Amino acid sequence: MRRLLTLSSFLFLLTFLLVWWMNSRALKPVELIPTLTGESEYCLTCHADLPEISASHPVKTFGCVSCHGGERLALDADLAHSTMRGGANPSDLSVVEASCGGTNCHSGSEAENRNHIQRVTTSVQSTYAGAIANIRFTFGAQTDLNAHFGINAVTDDETRTGITSLSTFDPSSEVNPFIKEFGKNCLTCHLNATPREGDVYARQTGCAACHTPLFDSPPIFGENGGSQKGVHTLTTAIPYTQCNACHNRGNYDLRTMTFDERADQPTNRLQGYYQPIAQFTKCEYTLDCVDCHTRSEVMGDGDIHANQKDIQYVQCKTCHGTPTELPLTKTLTDPNDIVFTLAFLNPVIDLKLGDTILITEKGEPLWNIRALSDGTYEMFGKATSQYFTFNPVMGSSCTQTGEDQSSSYCHGCHAVER
Amino acid sequence: MTDLSRRDILKLFRAGFLYLSGALAFGGLLRFLDFDPNPAPKTEFDLGPAADYPLNTRTFLSDPPAVLLHTKKGFSALSLVCTHLGCTVEHNSDGFSCPCHASRFDADGNVTHGPADKSLHSLRMEISKDDRLILHLD
Amino acid sequence: MRPSFFHHLHPPTIPAAQARWRYTLAAGGTAIFLMLILGVTGILEMFYYVPNPQEAALSVQAITYHVPFGGFIRNLHYWAAQLLLIVSAIHLLRVVFTAAYSHPRRFNYLLGLGLFILVILLDFTGYILRWDQGVCWPLVTGTNLLKTIPLIGDFLYRITVGGGEACSTALLRFYTWHIFGLTVVVSILAFWHAFRVRRDGGIALPPPPLRADNTRISRNDLVRREVLAMFLVGIILILLASFLPAPIAPPMPESASIRLSVLQSVDSIRSSVEYPLSTSVDARAPWFFLWVQQMLKWSDPFLWGVLVPLGILATLALIPYIFPKPADSDIGRWFPKSNRLAQVTVAVISLFVVILTLVNR
Repeated sequence: MRRLLTLSSFLFLLTFLLVWWMNSRALKPVELIPTLTGESEYCLTCHADLPEISASHPVKTFGCVSCHGGERLALDADLAHSTMRGGANPSDLSVVEASCGGTNCHSGSEAENRNHIQRVTTSVQSTYAGAIANIRFTFGAQTDLNAHFGINAVTDDETRTGITSLSTFDPSSEVNPFIKEFGKNCLTCHLNATPREGDVYARQTGCAACHTPLFDSPPIFGENGGSQKGVHTLTTAIPYTQCNACHNRGNYDLRTMTFDERADQPTNRLQGYYQPIAQFTKCEYTLDCVDCHTRSEVMGDGDIHANQKDIQYVQCKTCHGTPTELPLTKTLTDPNDIVFTLAFLNPVIDLKLGDTILITEKGEPLWNIRALSDGTYEMFGKATSQYFTFNPVMGSSCTQTGEDQSSSYCHGCHAVER
Repeated sequence: MTDLSRRDILKLFRAGFLYLSGALAFGGLLRFLDFDPNPAPKTEFDLGPAADYPLNTRTFLSDPPAVLLHTKKGFSALSLVCTHLGCTVEHNSDGFSCPCHASRFDADGNVTHGPADKSLHSLRMEISKDDRLILHLD
Repeated sequence: MRPSFFHHLHPPTIPAAQARWRYTLAAGGTAIFLMLILGVTGILEMFYYVPNPQEAALSVQAITYHVPFGGFIRNLHYWAAQLLLIVSAIHLLRVVFTAAYSHPRRFNYLLGLGLFILVILLDFTGYILRWDQGVCWPLVTGTNLLKTIPLIGDFLYRITVGGGEACSTALLRFYTWHIFGLTVVVSILAFWHAFRVRRDGGIALPPPPLRADNTRISRNDLVRREVLAMFLVGIILILLASFLPAPIAPPMPESASIRLSVLQSVDSIRSSVEYPLSTSVDARAPWFFLWVQQMLKWSDPFLWGVLVPLGILATLALIPYIFPKPADSDIGRWFPKSNRLAQVTVAVISLFVVILTLVNR
C-alpha cells in the first residue's frame, strides 16, 4: 500500500508537470484592438501573415471581425470561424449589409457617395431583370417587357424609374419549359450566383466578384493554371480578366437554352479579350473595362432598371467627342471632391486642384483622363498604369456625323484586325 | 547517520511528491488569478480640431479629468487627478482644491496646502497632421 | 503517525469488509471527492464568468482561451461534473445490487436519491450557463415542461426561470441556482448523507453475528485507501481535462436574424433585399437528458417529460419500503437472492434509460 501510494503520488506529480508543460506550449495570443470597435480580437494569432486588404481598410482601424464576423476571443479555429459571415467572403450579397454596411461605410446616403450596397443590390448585374423579363416575354409568361422579377427580391422606395420592386424569380413555378431551362442553365453570371464549373469562370461572389482579383497579374487564358480562391485584397484597379470571368465567355443559344462556351484557346490579350466574333478598336483592348465603363454603369445608380440599355451609356464620344463637340470636362476646385479619393485609392495619376478632367454626360468623373493645355488629353490606364495621349475628334479628318454612335460606325474605320 | 528504513524513504518521497504537486498547483492558482480580462484603458484622447480651443482660453475636460490651456506658449494640459489619492479636484478662483482630503493647488498645479505633496501632473499635448489636438496620458 | 484531523473524521477501526474495492467500487467516496473538485473549480471560474446574456458566452471564451490555466480549470469542472453523474449512478446501482439500502439505511438511501436529482439539476443549470447556440432549445423545452404541470406549473416556471422568455431572462436565475441555491442544498444533503453513513454503522454489512469475516482495519489504513483513490481519480480527471476539451459553441445570437455589426444603422437603408436566412440548429438535449428527449418525441409532454421520470424516481424511492426486504445475511453481497425484484426493476429502468439514450444519439 505504501509503495502504491508513493507511486501514485509520483504519477500525480507527473500530471501536474504535464499540465504546466502543455500550458507552455499553447499558442501565444496576438491581440489587436481596432480603433473603430475598441474590442480586442485575436485573429492575428494565426493570421498575422495575411497582407493588408487595402489602403482604405487598415487592420489597425477596422480589425478583422467588423467585416468578417467570427468569434473574436476564440483561439480554436473551428469556434473562431463559426460565426464568420459568408465563409471566406463577407461581401457575398446575402451578408454584405452586415459586413460592409453602416451609414459611415457602404450603406450610407447617396449624397455622401456611400450607398454602394443599395446601388449594387438594385443594379442590373445583380437583379438580371432585363434578361429575365425578355425571356419571360419571349416565351409568353408576361405580356410586356417591363421588369417584374429579379434574382432576389428588391425594393426601391425612392425610385426614379417608376419600378418600386422586383419579386424573386422562381423558375420552378414557371410553366413554360424553356423558361425552366433558362432557370437551370443561364443564371450563373449574376453577382449572387456561384460561378460555373471551370477555371476560366472562377470568381468570388458579391463585392469581391469585381474587387478581389483572382490572379496576381492579369492572366491569359490557358496560361495561368488553376483557379485561385482570391488573395486577401480589395482593389479598384480591376483588370479586364476580372470582368471576363462572366463576360466574353460565349453566347446563349435561345433555341436550346444552353450556354455555348467560346471554343478558341487564346494566348494573348488581343486574342483573349473578346470573342472571335467581336469587332473592336485599339483602345477597347489595350484599356481595361473599368477605364471606360463608369461606376454607375457597373454598380448601378440606385434605381431598379428594366434593362441593361437603360443604364449603360458610355460611348466613343464620351472621351473622344464628335467633329462638332469636344468631350465634356470639369476643372477640380473642391479639395473634397470624390475624384481625389478615387485617385488616392488607385494612384495611377497625381491629380491636383486646378486640373481639368473629363466627365461623362451624366457628370461622372473620368478621373484618370486629364485635359492638357495644348488641347490634347492624357490618360492613365487604371489597371495597367499605361500612359496614353489622344486627340479630340474635333479638328481631325474624321467623317463621322456625331449623332450616330452605333457600334459599327466608329469600328468601320478603326476596328482592329486580328 | 541513523538508519533510514525503506518505509522512511518512501515517506520522504511521498511527502516530496505531494509538496511539489502542491507547489505546482499553488503556482498555477496564482497565475490563474493574476489575469485582467479587460481591454487596456485609453491613453490617447482625440480632442477635436485645434481651432475649437482659441487662444487664451481654459477648457475643462471630464474624460480624462484635465484642464486644457491655450496660451501664447501653445497648448498645455494639467491633470485634475489629485496626487494624494486620486479624487478629481475642483477649480476655484485661485486654483484647485480637492473635496476628499482638502489638498489645495495653485493655478499652475503646485501644492499650496494639504496632504498631497506632489503637484498636479502636466499631460503631453500633440497636434496631429490634420490639425487635431491629441491628449496623452503617459 | 499520530492521527490528524482527516484521520479523526473516520472511526478508529472499521471492519475490513467495509473497505474492499470490489464491494464498494469506491463510488461513494469518489462522488464526494468530485464534488469538492467541482466546488473549487467552480469558485475559480466565478472570478471570470460574467452572468449577463451579452457577455456570458464571451466570458466563457475568455476563460477557455485567455486566462492562464483557465481552459484547464474549465475542463476539470466539466469532466468532474460528468464523471460525478456517472459515478453517482454507479453508486446507486451498487447500493441496490448489494441490498445496502435495507434498514437502518432506508432514510439515507432517500437522501442519496435526493442528492442524485440535485446533481442532475446542477449539471443542467451549469450547462445552460454556457449561454451558447446549443443551449436555447434545451432551455426552452426543459422549462416549458414545468409549465405542463397542473396547478403549480406556472409558479414553478417563475421560480426556476424568473418569468419572461427563457432564452433572454433565465441566465441570472440559473446562475444563482447553480452557484448557490442548489449548491447549498447539495452541501447540506451531502453532509447529512455522510453523517448517516457513520451513524448507521458504516458501509452496509450484515449484523455482526452473521458476518463471515471479522478482521478490521485502522483509520490510518482507511485514509490511505481513500488517498490512493483520490490520486487515481485525480490523475484520470487531469488527463481528461488536458486532452478532451469541454464543449464550446458560438454565443447565443441576440435575435433570430443575422447579427448586425457594430457599424450598422438600419434607417439609412433605402432599399431592402430579402435573402433566405439559414437557421437550422441541431436541437439536442445534453447527454444525460437524451433519454427524456427521446420520450418527448412520442406524445404528451406532461406524461413523458414529467410523470414518467417522476414515476421512475418514485419507484426507486419505494424500493426500501415496499419491495420485499432483503435478508440480513444478504447485505453487502453482490446480486443476492432476497432482493431480486428490486435488482430486476433497477436493471430494467437502467436499460430503458440507456437504450433510449443510444437511440437518440
